Parts: sequence; structure tokens; C-alpha cells
Amino acid sequence: MERARPRISRRSVLKSAGAVAGASVLPTRRLFAAGKKSIRVLTVADPFYYALAGVTDQFRQETGIDVAIESLAYDQLNARLVSSFVGGQPDADVISVDNIWLGQYLESKWIKPLNDLVKADKDVDIADFIPGVLYSISLWRGQLGSLPIAPYGMGVMYRKDYIDAAGVKIPDDGSWTWTEYLDTIKKLNGQKFGGASMIGTVVSGQQPAPIVHMFTQLAASMGARWFKHFPEAPWDFTPTIDSKENVDAIRLFAELYKASPPEAINYNWFDAGMRFAKGDIGAFYWWSAYFYLCRKDGYMSGKDSVVADKMGIVPIPHSDHPQVGSTGGWSLGIPSNSAATDEAWIFVKWATSAKAQKAMALYTKYGYQFSDFARRSLYKDPDLLKIYPYLPGQLVGLEAGNGKISRPGVPTYTTLESIYGLNLNKVLTGEMSPEDCAKQTAQLWTSVLKGNFMIPYQLKSYDDTLEAAKALIASLSA
Amino acid sequence: MRRKKLLLRTGLIYAGLILVLLVFIGPILWFALLAIRPSETVFAIPPVIFFTPSPAAFQSTFVDPGANRHQLVNSLIVAGGAVLLNLPFSFPAAYALSRFRMRGGKNMMLWYLGLLMAPPVAFLIPYFVLVSRIGLRGTYLAMILIMQTITIPFSVWLMKSFIDEVPVELEEAARVDGAKWPRVIARITLPLVRPGMIVTSMFAFVFSWNNAAFPLVLSNQRTATLPIGTLGYFATAGATWTFIGAAATAAMLPPMIIFLVLDRYVARGLTFGSLKG
Amino acid sequence: MSNNVIGRAPAFSLAPSRARRRRRLFPYLLIAPSVVLLVAVTIFPLFFALKSSFYFWNLQMGPKPLGFIGFGNYRMALTSAVFMASVVNTLVLTVSGTVLEVFFGLMIALLLCHALPGMSVARALLIMPTTIAPIVVGFLFRYMYDPTGGLIPWLLAKAGVPIPRTGLLGSGLTALPSILFADMWQWTPFCAIVLYAALLSVPPHVIEAARLDGASAWTILRRIRLPLIRKTLSFVVMLRFMQLFNTFDLVLVLTRGGPGSSTRTLGYTLYQQGLVDFNIGLASAMTWIIVIMVNALIGLYVVFVFRDWE
Repeated sequence: MERARPRISRRSVLKSAGAVAGASVLPTRRLFAAGKKSIRVLTVADPFYYALAGVTDQFRQETGIDVAIESLAYDQLNARLVSSFVGGQPDADVISVDNIWLGQYLESKWIKPLNDLVKADKDVDIADFIPGVLYSISLWRGQLGSLPIAPYGMGVMYRKDYIDAAGVKIPDDGSWTWTEYLDTIKKLNGQKFGGASMIGTVVSGQQPAPIVHMFTQLAASMGARWFKHFPEAPWDFTPTIDSKENVDAIRLFAELYKASPPEAINYNWFDAGMRFAKGDIGAFYWWSAYFYLCRKDGYMSGKDSVVADKMGIVPIPHSDHPQVGSTGGWSLGIPSNSAATDEAWIFVKWATSAKAQKAMALYTKYGYQFSDFARRSLYKDPDLLKIYPYLPGQLVGLEAGNGKISRPGVPTYTTLESIYGLNLNKVLTGEMSPEDCAKQTAQLWTSVLKGNFMIPYQLKSYDDTLEAAKALIASLSA
Repeated sequence: MRRKKLLLRTGLIYAGLILVLLVFIGPILWFALLAIRPSETVFAIPPVIFFTPSPAAFQSTFVDPGANRHQLVNSLIVAGGAVLLNLPFSFPAAYALSRFRMRGGKNMMLWYLGLLMAPPVAFLIPYFVLVSRIGLRGTYLAMILIMQTITIPFSVWLMKSFIDEVPVELEEAARVDGAKWPRVIARITLPLVRPGMIVTSMFAFVFSWNNAAFPLVLSNQRTATLPIGTLGYFATAGATWTFIGAAATAAMLPPMIIFLVLDRYVARGLTFGSLKG
Repeated sequence: MSNNVIGRAPAFSLAPSRARRRRRLFPYLLIAPSVVLLVAVTIFPLFFALKSSFYFWNLQMGPKPLGFIGFGNYRMALTSAVFMASVVNTLVLTVSGTVLEVFFGLMIALLLCHALPGMSVARALLIMPTTIAPIVVGFLFRYMYDPTGGLIPWLLAKAGVPIPRTGLLGSGLTALPSILFADMWQWTPFCAIVLYAALLSVPPHVIEAARLDGASAWTILRRIRLPLIRKTLSFVVMLRFMQLFNTFDLVLVLTRGGPGSSTRTLGYTLYQQGLVDFNIGLASAMTWIIVIMVNALIGLYVVFVFRDWE
């Protein structure tokens, strides 16, 4: 491959040891060989990766830059990225950043802010992005850390045929409350349908991340907030995770688990979706990417699942608090210590452009699986509307979502999440009561935040509202 | 009557032996079969034993796109490098401990053993931070160096037991004839100990090859070893079990072959030389 | 040319004093390289960990420690439910694993002692599980434990044994025993082979004499063979204890410490704190707590068992 293999001889131990030492310290980069331009792209193995990998040939043809694209599983990705940042060695020139990592990455100056690059380049067409998406997944303290490549909203997926047979009504416009949702799930739980015993819903119970991602939608919608005052200024990171609203949410979530398959305690994002695709679940809520993933019988398998033509999509329920949709998803950023930032920027711009995104959407090797657009124009595209029927619902979810409330992407997020996820998991197994979970999480969070000088907050707060974001976007596109 | 009792006893022993082998070898075969299974039979219930083998997994992992191929090479480099670095350091120490009555010699031996006591993760964390600071993270050198914490202690023990077997009289005779130390060691001891050195090196190779904790933290995508590559197949979206089987089988084979070749020394090697196999 | 006579000094030694000093230093010089290398690679990191354990330091927040907090990290670790659960899990796993592996190893070793045709092949094959990387054993058992189509749940179901709905690895009750079983699968052959080799060294005439005196096989085992292999037995117990205490690879692949914290071992918790959450300060404190614990345990063991050794 690209590396020089040291020749080892048994006699001259010192010589070979020296050779190995020397060879192993030298970085070997394709950039240094023959002056050919190339970049390394490292992303998560979500549907957008497959579509992106499928169209990078076009990038090569257009720009002459070689792309080595690689994907990793979710937890491995963050571990590898943080490890490479902390270790001072870039593992890639373009990386996919989950919205919840953005604050940490920008604050630690691990990724390059893109404000100046965007301002200087009209091609980016930043006004075409849904502002709420940029706000939720790419902006932190006025810095644009990345450009969105695959934002996700939330929605409820359900079995149309089973609902009809069970005589249950599901409102099309999301005008149901979480209590009504739970009642519906309970009604759907345990009935026989099509020769199988149906289960009401399925949750992602695995800790630390999947359970938090699923639960926080419910919690945010029911009025729970992570911190006393965030993201509006002044920032006060005192945890309010032990509020009554959150305890109620935890209790409801535990009820949902009771109406799920017991194995769901270990389900990650994908396991939950595939369980629904298997056919014995009545309804569940999850990221919008699953609207299409569930129509296949396996991840990137290309074959339709048994529920493919029997699925309905409706907005998530609300409570009597103002509705908050959880917006999450992926954006592309450039590590500060990359040696190919110019080429990396060209790639980021290209991959998030309307043209490339449409090409990704039309990529059909695994059956159309990518429709997580950040650009409003693509949601109106007639070609795409034909293939992806749920696009209007996806757009509604994204425009109304606020990722900064449901899962604040603050520094130390992953530490907070692992504490939260473990305790939530314990509630589901019955080891912990919802009240204890909330209380202990709040206590541990306080000590973590205090130790990291976030309580009281040392830096000047930034008034991070959607309006401020819109103003910033306007200034960048001027 | 006696013969019948003997026959029964022999039968029982063989039955027990077969049961034991089934328990300990069966799963290995079952797992290795994964590498050539067509994907529908991976989790088929009831389990499928007969199927038409498919080379797809091996092809994908080692040929095209062959992501595990360079990891296989990396495993060889790291394990091989660890062994090479290990020899010049552990042989002198083993020799000294064998031949000389040193003050604290017994404690030294126990200290070597004690190094194997702490969880590898324990000194992995500070090591990671230090190595990152000097920019050696992701290099073979860093992994080879920290591998020494495993290979040197056990090599010293094992090699000492081999050196103990070389009669001191041979060396003394050479010295009486006027030879100096290095010559004595090189001409007399080393040739006699060479089988022991080979055995020790092969065990050191296996322990380094099998170590996953250090490369997990210290390697990057370029220098990842085979077990780490296999770990990567546990993706967010379900595991590609046939690939795991293929990569894992490749990771299993070298140590197995080595142990079969070294069968005579297995007990001795695994107890670090304190037991004459 | 002076004769360098080293080790047992001859009856009359006329070596000059400088040569004598060099003679005495020589063995230490031989040991020095390996000691220096090991010290550099282990002691430095451990002292670094000691220093870091008194600071609050999260690598994600900055490349330098954030603030001196004395024993705060130690307090946090010792009052942390997860850490204490790890201690309990690790001790349970270690003690039961050691006992079971040595016991079954001994049983198999006794089986192997019968000199029948094919035994040597059996022995060569038997050691195979021990040759596999622990992490690969993890993959193997993850495959076999899989609730949807794994071999083990299927076999258990066929035998009528009830399995938790969440799968063997998904239930707090069965997760740790499942990990224990995987470790036993891998290391019982090691105990068996080593104990077999030790049993071989028992002089056959002693056993013959006892048998002629009318002793039963059980008495022979208890009174003659076991005491004679005591040294090896103690060594094996110590080795297994040490390695079980450090269980990490299996937990990483099989359960990641879950469900809840029922399979969190010390090694895994350390990894999680230091290399996933990058809480260097806290992880360093945990490191030292573990090091002290292990050294105390093994130290006690060595003092009592190896008193009269070598």
C-alpha cells in the first residue's frame, strides 16, 4: 500500500530497530507523493455516507482532487476524532460532525470556523439552507463550524393497516398529546394481527447515546430543559434536569418501554428501526432518516421490508408546553490541523451543494435512502418529491425544530450524555426510580460542569437565538 | 471381568475427552465457519450446518476493498517489532538473573511479574497523553514500546528457565581457557539457548499479536491492527458478521499455528518458565 | 589476562579490587537495559498518573490540567456508584472465575493423565481457545449469544433452560455470568494443560506405592498429587487471578459494561473514564486505587503462598 515496509534482518537487531523506529515516526501522506492533491474524508456510517461515497467520483472528475472516504460507527467516530484532536494528529481533512459535538469542537478550536470562507464564496448559497437547521447543527457562538450534509428531524411512524384493524385513530396533524400517544401505544400493545402478536412500540434503550437521543425529544416536548438559562444569554448551566417536567417525561418513557419488546433495553438507533421494519411494532417515533430506512429489510440491503407500503408518518405529539422538535444530524467540518484545508473546503462546499445533494438523493444502489436535505430548494424539487413521499413532513419537522434546546451541544456534552444515558437505562431496567434518576443526574452534572468551569460560566455569554442566527446568515450571504 | 471393567473405563475416558474437545473446539469451528457462510445462514434457526461456502467475506475483507489487508500487515509489524525490541533487552536480564546471585534477585523477578498485574488500561491512559504530546500517537513505535511492558517481564522469566538448563560448567570451562564474557555468552550460551530464544520470541509474538487494548488507543486508521479492524465491523447499523468471521479467522490462525508447532513448550511458556513442560 | 570469575567465588580469589567491583556490577549492568526500558514505559506513566490524579483535567476542555483539587478525584471515585459497582463486579468475576477455571482445569488434567492413544493430539487441540486473542473470543461469544439466532440460546431453549427475554447479554442477572463463561471457555484449557504438566512430574512410584497400600483414587489425589503440585497450583491461581482482574476486552465487545453497570469491570470503567470521556484526572485517581488494590491482594497472596519459594 502507501507505506514503506522496513526490511528486517535478524542479525542486526539495532539496525532494524532503528529502521522500524524511523519508518514509524515518518508520516506518510499521499500529498507528499508526486504532488497529487488528495484529501481524506471521515464520516459516520449513516445513509448519507453511502450516497456520498457513491457520488465522489463526480467530485474527482470536476476538481481533480482525489478523495479517500471512510466511515465509522457512531461511538467509534467520536472516539477516533477526539483522540486525534487530543493527540494532535489529524485523521482526516473533512469530518462529519454530529450537532451535539459542535460546541465542544469549536470551543476547543479543533475545527476551523467557516464564516470567512462562506462570506467570500457566493457559490455556497447559504440563504438556501433552512435557518433552523444551520442554527441547530452548524452554529455555535456566532461561528459557523460546518455546513449541514444530513439534518434529521423527528416523526412518528406507524402501521396503517394495523391501526385500521385495531380501530385506533391517529391525528394527521400531530394534534395529539403525549398522554394520548401513550394510550394509543398501550391500546396497540398485545393485540393479534396478521397471525402475530403485536407490540405497541419500540424504544432505543441502549446507553449512553441512543437512549438519550430518543428520550430528549420526549423530554423537550414536555417542557424539560437541561440548563437554567440556555441558549439565550446570559448562560447559566445550572442543571434543571430534575424538574417536575423531566421526571414526568422519564416516567412516560418508562411506560413506553413497558410496551416495547424487552430486548429494546439494548437497542441502538438502528436496532429500533429495524425492529419496526420487521413488522410486529404498532408505532414509534424516531429520526426522519428512518422514514425511508424502515422501508428496507436491512441496513443498505436494497430489499423492501414487509412494512414498506404500510407505513404512515405523522408529526410527533405535543404537551401543553410550547412544542420543541428535536433537530439533530450531521454536518461537514474541517479539522484545524489538517494540511489540506483548501481542498477540504472545496469538498465541503461541493458535498453540501444542491447539485451534489440531489445526485446523492438519486443514488439508487441501496434503493433511495438519502433525503435528509438541509436546503429548502430540494424539498420543492418535483423529481425528488416523486421518490421521497414524506418530504413535506420532513420539512415541517426541520423548520420547527430546535436542536439547541432538546440536546444542547455544549462543551462536555458527551460526558453529560454518558451520565444521563446510564441513569435512564437504569430506570428502564427498574434499578432506579425516575426521581432518583433525575436527581442523581443533576448532581453529577453539577460536579462535572463545575469542574470544567462552566458553573459559573467563565466566558462571555452569546445570545444564541434563532433570530441572531438568521441575522448572521444574512450577513454571510450579503 | 477385569478386561470389561478396563474397557468401560477407557470408554468413559474417551467419552469425556470427546465432550471436552467438543466444548472447546466446537465453538472455534462454528465461528470460523462464519467466514464462508452466505449471509442468510448467519442467524438461521435452526442453525445451518451444511451450506455452499461463499468466498465473499474473505474477498471483501482482504482483496477488494481489502480494508483488513493492511491491518494484517500492521499486526505483523507491531508484533514482529515488539519481539525484535524485546530480545536485546530481556536476554541480558534473564542471563544475569540466572547466573548471578544478586541482591534482590527474587524481588526483581516478582517485580517483573507484578508489572503484569495492573490493568493494561491503567498505564495506557497516561501513556496516551504523553505519547500524544510528543507526536508519536498512531506510530508503530509507540505501540511496539508499550508492548514491552508485556513481553519483557514474561520473556525474562521464560528465558531464565532456559538459561538455567545450560550447565554453568560449560561457561566456566570456557572462561578458564581465557575467554572473556561476551565471547563466552556468544559462543557457548547463545547457541545452546537458541531454541529457548525462539520459543520465547514466538510466545512474545503471540501475546503482542493478541493484544487489542494498546492498538485500540494508540493506533490510527493507518496503523490499526487486525483486532481493531474487526471491531470496526460492529457498526451502528448491525454487524456484518461474515466480515467479522473472516477478519477474526485471519487473526486467530497465526497464534494457533505457533502453538501447534510449539506444543512441547506450551505449558512452560504459559507459566513463564516456572514449569518444566 | 585476568580471569573474571564471577558468581560463586572460588576458595581463593586474588582478583584486584577494580576487577572485583566490575565483577559485582556486571550482573546489574546486564539487567539495567531492560529495567530502564520498563521503567520508562511504565513508571513514568504511573507517576504522571499520580500527579494528574490531584487535578481536575478533562482533555476535551484543554491540553493542560484545569485546577488542583487535592483528593477530590479520589473522593469522587470512591463515592461513585459506578466505580464501586465495578469493584464488586471485578471481584465477583475474578474470584469465581479463578475457582471455577482451576477446578475444571484440574478435572480435565486428571482426565488427560491417562496415557491413551490420541491424548497428545487432544492436548495440542485443547489449548486452542487460549491461543485466541481475548477480543476475538469476545466476537465469538457475541455471535453465539445473539438472542435472535445464536447457537447458545438455541441450545439452551432446546434443553428447556429459560432465557431472559432481553437476551443473555441484556439481562442484569445473566450478563456477568455470560462473560464469566466466555472467560472460562478460553482459560480452562490453560489451567488444564499446565496442571497436567505438573501432575506428570509427580513420581509414579509414589503413586504406585500408595495404590499398593490400598489407597483410593480420591485419597491419592487429595493426599499425594495435590500437595506435590502445590507450587504450580498456586502459581496458576495467581496468574488467573491477575488476568481476570484485568478483564477488559470481553466487556468491550460483549456488553460495554451494560446492562446498567452490571458488567462494568475496573478495566472497562477506567477505559471509559480516561479514553472515552477523557477525564484524565479522575481516571488517574482510579488507576492508582486499582494499582494499590491489586498490589495489596497479590502481595498478600505472594507472602503467604510463596514464602518458601526459590
